[in-house]
Amino acid sequence: MIRVRGLSKQFGGVDHGNGSVLALSEIDLEVRDNEFITVIGPSGCGKTTLLRIIAGLIPYDRGEITIDGKPVTGPGPDRAVVFQNFALMPWADVLANVTFGLEIRGTPKDESQAKAKELIKLVGLENFEKRLPKELSGGMQQRVGLARALAVNPKILLMDEPFGSLDEQTRRLLQEQLLRLWEHERKTVVFITHSMDEAVMLGDRVMLMTPRPGRVKEMIDVPLKRPRLRELEKSSAFLEVKEYLWENLRVMQVE
Amino acid sequence: MKNDALQDWGLRLVVFAAVVGAWELFLSRSQNFLLPKFTEMVSGLFQLWFVDNRFWEALYISNQALLLGYAVSLAVAIPLGLAAGRLRWMDRLLNPYVGVLLAMPVAPLIPIVIIALGLGLSSRVFIVVLFAFVFITVNTRAGVRAVDPSLIEMAKSFGASEGQIWRRIVIPGAMPAIFAGMRIGLGRAITGMVMVELLLVASGLGRLLLEFSGRMQSDLVFATVIAVIIEALALLAAMRAIERRIARWAPDISVG
Repeated sequence: MIRVRGLSKQFGGVDHGNGSVLALSEIDLEVRDNEFITVIGPSGCGKTTLLRIIAGLIPYDRGEITIDGKPVTGPGPDRAVVFQNFALMPWADVLANVTFGLEIRGTPKDESQAKAKELIKLVGLENFEKRLPKELSGGMQQRVGLARALAVNPKILLMDEPFGSLDEQTRRLLQEQLLRLWEHERKTVVFITHSMDEAVMLGDRVMLMTPRPGRVKEMIDVPLKRPRLRELEKSSAFLEVKEYLWENLRVMQVE
Repeated sequence: MKNDALQDWGLRLVVFAAVVGAWELFLSRSQNFLLPKFTEMVSGLFQLWFVDNRFWEALYISNQALLLGYAVSLAVAIPLGLAAGRLRWMDRLLNPYVGVLLAMPVAPLIPIVIIALGLGLSSRVFIVVLFAFVFITVNTRAGVRAVDPSLIEMAKSFGASEGQIWRRIVIPGAMPAIFAGMRIGLGRAITGMVMVELLLVASGLGRLLLEFSGRMQSDLVFATVIAVIIEALALLAAMRAIERRIARWAPDISVG
C-alpha cells in the first residue's frame, strides 16, 4: 500500500524567495495493493512531480510517503517507472533495453535474458529483439518501456503519461494491452494521464488534481466492472464519470 | 544506398578529373617553372614511396610525435571532458582555461615550448598535444551534456549507482561526440606535427619539406604534402570504421 500524508513540494527552494514555486501542497493519498489509480488534472498541476516523488527520483519538502509502512527515501526494487518519452537507450537494441533494469539490479545474465525475452514476447515484440529503438514506431517503443518496467517484477508500476505522445489508435491498442496484462497479473498502478477517457477506462479510482499548487480535489470511484471492455465506453456509468471530470476540469482550465 | 554511393563516387571522380585536367593544362601552357604539373607531382610521389627511402624514415620520425601526442591528448582530454560534462564544479573550474586554449593561437607558443623542453621528441609531442587536446575535451563535454537527462532518470529509477550511470548511460551516450572530437583532434594533431617540424625542430617530414623546397624540388614538396594528406585520410577512415561499430545508432554529427 502506498500512503502519502501532507506531502508538499516546492521548486526553487525556500532561500530563493520569489523564484520558488509551490508545486504540490498537502497531498493525501492512499493506494491499496493491486489497485489501479489514474491521476488527472490541468497541465502544470504537478502530477508528474507527484509520480517522480513516489518513484524516489526527487526529494520532497514536507509530509511523508510510505510503501507498506516503510518511508520512501529513494528508488527501490518495489517500484518501476514507465516514462512519457519512453527513455530508451538509442544505442541498445530492444533486448538490451529490456534487460537494463535487471542488469542494474544485479540479475545474472542468463536469467535476465530469459526474463526479458519472456516479456518481449508478452508485449508482442518477439521478432524485434535485435532492433534499435529508432527502427520502431512510438507504440512499439513504449511497449519496450513497459516490458523493461515489468521485467524487474515490481509491486508498483508508476506510469507517467505513458501513452501521451502516441496517436489515438495506437493509444487505444496499448490501453487494451495494458488492461489485459494487468488482469493477468494485478500490480498496484499509479497512472498519470491528461485524457479523461483514459482516466476512466483504466482506473479503479481517478484522482482529480487542482492547478498549481497541486492539491487533491477529489478521489472519484469508477463504478465499472472488470475486465474493462471497449463497449463500456458507451455505458452511462462511463459517460457520467467522464462528464463529471470534464465539469471540474473545465472550471480549472479557465484560469 | 548502394546507388547513392556509386553516384557520389562518380561525381567526386568527375570533379577530381576536372581539377587535375585544369591543373595539368594550365601549367603546360604557362611559363611557371616552380609549380609542378600534376603528372610530375605523381611521379614525385612514386619517387618518395619507392625510390627514396628517406621518406619512410621521415614518416616514422614524424609519426612518433603524432601518435604519442595524440595518445596523450586522448588520455588527458576525454576524462577532462567527461568530468566537465557531468560535474558542475569541474566545468566551472575548466571553463576559463578551455576558453583560453580555444582562442589561443598555438603556433607562437612553439618557441617557448622548445626553450622549455628542448629540441627533442618531448617538445614535438607537447606541441601536438597543445594542438589537439582542447577540441577533444570540448566535444566530449558537449557529448556528455547532450545525453538525454531522462535516460539518467530512468537508470536512477532502477536504482543505478553513479558508476553504473557513467558506464551504462553517460559514456555510451557521449560516444558519437567523443568520436567527432577525436576526428577533429586528429586533424589538429597532424597540423601540429608538421608545423613544429617546419618552424623549429627540423626533423621528420618537416625537415624533408624544408630540404625539398630549399632545392626548388617543388614536385617533391607537393608529393610530400599529398603523402601527409593520404596518411591523414587513412587514419580518419580507420577511425570511422571503429566508430561505425561502436556508435552505429547515432546520426553522423562529425565536422570534416
